[in-house]
Parts: sequence; C-alpha cells; structure tokens
Amino acid sequence: MPRLETVQLPVNDAEPQVMHIDLNSCFATVEQQARPLLRGRPIGVTNRKTEYTCVVAASIEAKAQGVKVGMSLHDARILCPDIICVETDPPKYHHVYQILVNIMKSYSPNVIMKSIDEGVIDFKGTTKVINTRSLEAIGYEIKQRLKDEVGTWMRCNVGIAPNRFLAKQAAGLHKPDGLDIIDHHNLRKILKTLKLTDLTGIAERNEARLNSAGILSPLQFLDTPAEVLRRRVFRSVCGEDWYKRLRGWEVDDHEWDTKTVGRQYVLDEMRPTPESVFARLMYLCETTAIKMRYKGLAARGMYVYVRYASGDYWYERRMFKTTFFTNVEVMRRAALLFNRRPLDEYPREIGVSCYALEPSTINQVSLLDEINRDIWLTEAVDRINSEFGEFTITMASSLEAKGIVKQKIPFGSTRYFELLCNRA
Amino acid sequence: MENVNIINKEVNVVAFYFHSKGMRLRCYPKIMEWNGKRITFTETGLRHPTKKGMRSIHVFDMTDGNADYRLEFDAHQLTWTLISISDMHYGPESYDEKVGFSHRNLHSQFAK
Repeated sequence: MPRLETVQLPVNDAEPQVMHIDLNSCFATVEQQARPLLRGRPIGVTNRKTEYTCVVAASIEAKAQGVKVGMSLHDARILCPDIICVETDPPKYHHVYQILVNIMKSYSPNVIMKSIDEGVIDFKGTTKVINTRSLEAIGYEIKQRLKDEVGTWMRCNVGIAPNRFLAKQAAGLHKPDGLDIIDHHNLRKILKTLKLTDLTGIAERNEARLNSAGILSPLQFLDTPAEVLRRRVFRSVCGEDWYKRLRGWEVDDHEWDTKTVGRQYVLDEMRPTPESVFARLMYLCETTAIKMRYKGLAARGMYVYVRYASGDYWYERRMFKTTFFTNVEVMRRAALLFNRRPLDEYPREIGVSCYALEPSTINQVSLLDEINRDIWLTEAVDRINSEFGEFTITMASSLEAKGIVKQKIPFGSTRYFELLCNRA
Repeated sequence: MENVNIINKEVNVVAFYFHSKGMRLRCYPKIMEWNGKRITFTETGLRHPTKKGMRSIHVFDMTDGNADYRLEFDAHQLTWTLISISDMHYGPESYDEKVGFSHRNLHSQFAK
C-alpha cells in the first residue's frame, strides 16, 4: 500500500537550508595551485606513471578538450596531445581537505563530507542563532576563504537548496565557480533545462527505466505520481524516495555503517609466478588488517577472489567461529581460502575482504595466553610503526610486494584518508 | 609526461618572508642557495604538512617563474631539503622521444 503522505506531497516550500560545496577537478586544481607553472594548462592526475593508467582527475583545461575522469591516459593523449601527467600526492589533498572541513565546520556543526572534494553543510537550526546573514552571502564568503587559506587558484561550486539532492544539482549548474540556489520558485525552471542523465543518480539504466514508462525529461519525472514511480518504474521504495527527492524533501540523510573492509589489486605482471601473487595477497591482507584496527573493528567473515586473464572469476568465502583483527590471523585465514583456487590460468586481479564486522576486543584480556601474546605483539608493532613510519616492522611474506603495491587515492569515501596519508 | 628532476639534497634557505594565511602568520622561503646558485622565489604554490614517523615535515611548492621547486623543511632537525625541480618543458615531447611515438601525429590523423 502506498503511504498517503507520500502521494499527497507538494513541492517543499521551506527556505533552502542545505549548502553543497564541491571543489572542481579537486586533485588537478590543487596541483595547479601548488605548481604555478601548470596553471592554465591541461593536466591529468594519475595514480601511476604508465601509458594505460586511469586519469583520476582532469583539469578544467583538459576537460574542455574532451578528457574525462576514468579515461586511460593513452586515450586522453589522443584527445589532448598536450596533456601533462602528474602523479597523485595524497598529503597535499589531505591538507586542502582539512582546510575545507575547518571552513565548513565554522558555520555549522552539522557537516557531512561526501567525499574528498565535496561536502554538505546543514544550516537547519543554526540560522537565526548563529548565522544572521543569507546563505548566498555565506556561500560567497566560503569561496573567498578557500582562496585566502589555500591559494588564489582554488575555486569551488556552491549549491543551496532545501535538500541534499537539489543542493548537489545546484552546485553542478555553473561549473567551475558557480553559486546557485534551487527553491520552490525556480525548481521547474531549472529542471526544464536539464536532461534525465544530468540528475545525480540517474545514469543510462535508470534513464531506460524512466523512458520505458514514458518519462523523457526531469519535468515529467517531477510530475509523475509516487505510486507510478514505486510500482511501475523502480518497483521498490526507491520510487517514493525519488518522488520526495525531486520535490525538495530530505531522504538522503542516512549514515551507513562499515559493512566490509578490504583491498583489491590488479597485478602488475602479465604472467606472475604463484610466489609473487602470494606475496601481493599477503600485503593486501596486512593493509586490510591495519585498516580494520584503525576503525576499531574485528571481522568474522573472510572473502577472497581472483579474476583471471580470460575474465573468469573465482571466489571463496567463509564465516569463522572467532573474530580476528591481527595481521597474522587475516593472512592465515586468507591463505587458507586462497590455496583452493584453480591454478589453470594466470590471475589478473586479486582481492581480499573481511565482513561480519563487530567492535574489536583488542582491550579485552583473553583467558588463553597465546591469544594475548598475539594481541600484545600486534599492539607493540603498531606503536613502533606509528612512531617510526608505516612498515618499519612488517611481515616477511609480503616483503616482495612492499615497493610495488601502493595505496592510492580513493574516489569516494574519506574513511581511511588519515591512514593513507600516514603511509604516503 | 612532466619533466621532474629528483634532487633530494640539503640546501640553504637564506631569506624568508612572512604571510598571513587565514588566522596565523606563516613563514615561507624566499631565497635558496643550491649548486652555487641563488634562486629567488617569486610565488608560493602551496605549503602542506606531512609526517615521516613522528617527525613533522613541511612541504613547500615554490616557483621562481622558470621552474617549480619542491622543498621540505624538517621541523625536528631544522633542515631544508630540495626534493625536486619541475621545469617548463612539460608536455608529451620528452615522453614521445622515449617511446618513439607521437600523439600529435595521431591527433592530426584523426583531425584529417
């Protein structure tokens, strides 16, 4: 049964209180800020300096020539022969991220960072008490503060709306240095100028779903009743969420718990020996265990997968009776599963993931002396590594992979950003 | 590819300037002596802190108008290290010479 309040919802006519801030081409802009000779030139930021590496960020100048994020550097060079390849430098981005967070938190305690380069400030409840100015004035002030505190090359988009979705849409309207407001007065006018795929969360497949129901534009999407979206288009509660989202009601304020912790690696050799694959897997296990302890978690489940050169995929997963979080335990359990893999082909990609997470019992003394010794050893090694640098003491089995497998900048979450910067 | 020369040598920074970014007054290098030359920085790109174990390192990206310099100040040992110099010869030419392939030619073929 559709919920009555959803079916009857009008466009939210409340004052816009959500501000979305998005740094444009964040890594590329930070590199241009750091190195003035790169300014005004097309640059692509990559995780490795190889021909077929992926461009993780492209400058505005490169984007103007058709370069897109996710494209291989080889393709980017065909579109833009003058593109300059710069390798990622995580501490630099972390510094800018920290400044951005500090600026945002100075306006409201309710700040949510969506990724490394974008965040949301929720002004609900703070307007009359703390911020007596309009959000537009605050938006322009944030832009200026970013220039003052980081550098003159830094620019950001600001979007203001009644909910997070519309605020993000507003931030994307006038790149690279825009400030836009969407409210109930101009919602229809702005949606009229957009395509379905311009909406965040609507890509080709969702567009096809909407088209099959006769919805061809965002305005038609807005005018579609919730029941049609729920029963015919999305066939789930997502339809109602879209109905509310487009009308300016908040549905995206969920905090998701960490469900899995893991790492993957595309192998650097076309025909790796089993020993070198095993060394890389052990390294992935070690860093996965470090990530788990960083979050104060322990796991019960272990998942290991291998993708082969032919495209075949093999995986093995198992739930254990006891939780684990030490390097040795993660390695031992992963090796147990990994040794069952088929050996017919050369692997191209390996990955390890821990699931069924729960708070770690690292502070609880066990009745079994062996377990205590293992925990104390792990704690001692972690302390030494935090004092003298990551991997000062490390496992011999993963030594071969240390100089080869590198932790790279993640696209989305900032959960392990501090850890990544310590390692960099 | 960008043209980065790794130096990794200790250098003398003989003059500084001070600038207020945000709330605090910060110190930046102005003149550096390296390899018998005096390099006067004309612009600061970015200063960011990082760590090597428990040692605080301040990384300065500076330019003298001809090249970009990456300097590190070790706050524990009070030393300056010139990490790298990136000169103006950016672009794919140097890379193409190495691999014997020109994307410019490929681009012009597509243009035709």
